Amino acid sequence: MHARRLFQRVNVTGWLFVGLVVLLAELAIQVFELTDSVSPPSETLPALGEGIASGELSGALRITLGTYAGGLVLAIVVGVPVGVLIGSSRLLLDATFVVLEFLRPIPAVALIPLAFLFFGTGSEMRRYIVAYAAVWPILVNTLYGVRGSDRILHEVALASGVSRFGRLVRVTLPAALPSIATGIRVSASIGLLVAVTAEFFFGSGGIGAYMQRQQLAFKLPEMYAAVLLTALLGYTVNVVVRLAERRVIRWTGEERVNWP
Amino acid sequence: MRALGDIWRVLLGVGVFVGALLVWEIWAGAEESFLVPEASEVLTRAWESWPTSEFLTAVAGSLKRLAAGFVIGAAIGITLGLVMGTSRATRQALDPLVELARATPPIAIVPALVLTLGFGDSMRIALIAFGVCFPVLVNTLEGVRAVSPEARDTASMLHVGRVERVFRIYLPAALPSIFAGLRIALSIGLVMVVISEFAGEGGGLGHYILDQQGQFAYPEMYAGILFLGLLGYGLNVLFRLFERRVLAWHYGATGERNG
Repeated sequence: MHARRLFQRVNVTGWLFVGLVVLLAELAIQVFELTDSVSPPSETLPALGEGIASGELSGALRITLGTYAGGLVLAIVVGVPVGVLIGSSRLLLDATFVVLEFLRPIPAVALIPLAFLFFGTGSEMRRYIVAYAAVWPILVNTLYGVRGSDRILHEVALASGVSRFGRLVRVTLPAALPSIATGIRVSASIGLLVAVTAEFFFGSGGIGAYMQRQQLAFKLPEMYAAVLLTALLGYTVNVVVRLAERRVIRWTGEERVNWP
Repeated sequence: MRALGDIWRVLLGVGVFVGALLVWEIWAGAEESFLVPEASEVLTRAWESWPTSEFLTAVAGSLKRLAAGFVIGAAIGITLGLVMGTSRATRQALDPLVELARATPPIAIVPALVLTLGFGDSMRIALIAFGVCFPVLVNTLEGVRAVSPEARDTASMLHVGRVERVFRIYLPAALPSIFAGLRIALSIGLVMVVISEFAGEGGGLGHYILDQQGQFAYPEMYAGILFLGLLGYGLNVLFRLFERRVLAWHYGATGERNG
């Protein structure tokens, strides 16, 4: 029963197609002799296994995950409270909107050279730059979520004598939760991009720096192994975030069922 | 709390912004670090550097590549989205591959692009197109999937052909969603411009920022970042105007004002 349900949920056709593409890539690379610029899957996969077994690639992965997670947590810790604060006061929103609109369109990757000047090549620089990139979607989505929360619920809570803090925890936050989750989902992929980019151009460690080292050394299988690992990391982050988001949204969905 | 009038609101926002600049100015003056130039110095350098040919060439190069990458990426995204949205078999076959590709941080394909296409414009345009394509694809797909069953049934009842159905029903119905995707793609495209210009020579605003940093011209570097932000803001405003024009019929039909 369980195996059958799993079989139905896994998209067999799709994954077979992925396998087919890998096979075709292998064939094309061998037939057209593209090994100067692309390493075939038959060499990339062993290189991935070796890199993980030797600890070199897995160590780089650990570094990337550490700075990425640190930056993302920092962005949530800053972005959600600030978003709630600005979102719950019209005056604060009016006061800050020019500053926000000014800072938001600056691509965070453009700040990597600046962050490098202040913090050097270490993981601290990368953590801050990830946090900066990730904070905007979280802040803006929290802000809109809070502003969009139900007026009637607020009035009812106010009339029932619920304290300011009680209203925040029991009305505002639950209502804003789906927006906050969306913000975190967007931030999760931007943060990963910025983390690996900072490693690639300015970093001293992590998958991005490993990838760049292998590229300069012209060790193609090792380089493509790092590329593959980055893709798998991105995919895993996506799946985890989406599962978490679905949980959150299902919960709030039940809370808000058929509200007129 | 009394609501403020519109003019007061804008004045308050601008006032806080100017206040923040003043705080920066005073702080940078007290810090006396060459890493933190004063706000006034950055603004002066920005004002001096924008009419120079070095700067204008950089901006023109960035815009040219952004335009090319955006159009290619959007075309691929819309086409794939329409095909996947209208054919169940294709959707099922392509879904994991697309999910894998779109979850890949685009920086990961930079070394591969450099090795296959070199450091030139084609590598950059390919990277921009890669970044642009997925948000457009996902939004097109969602837009097509949301077409009402009535519209689908009517079309099949009237024996509207497959190709005609795509262009006369699915594409127009998905257009608001496609535009939402294009708007996200535009800001991602700008990020890709910067990343692609960090890699190797060839100019552009991203390379300009890196160059100024390398020459210890920090006020100019800040100015470059500032211009990049202004460019992003300006492009977004232009895009919204364009969107409002193209989707005028949609707002008219649904009574929606701000999409």
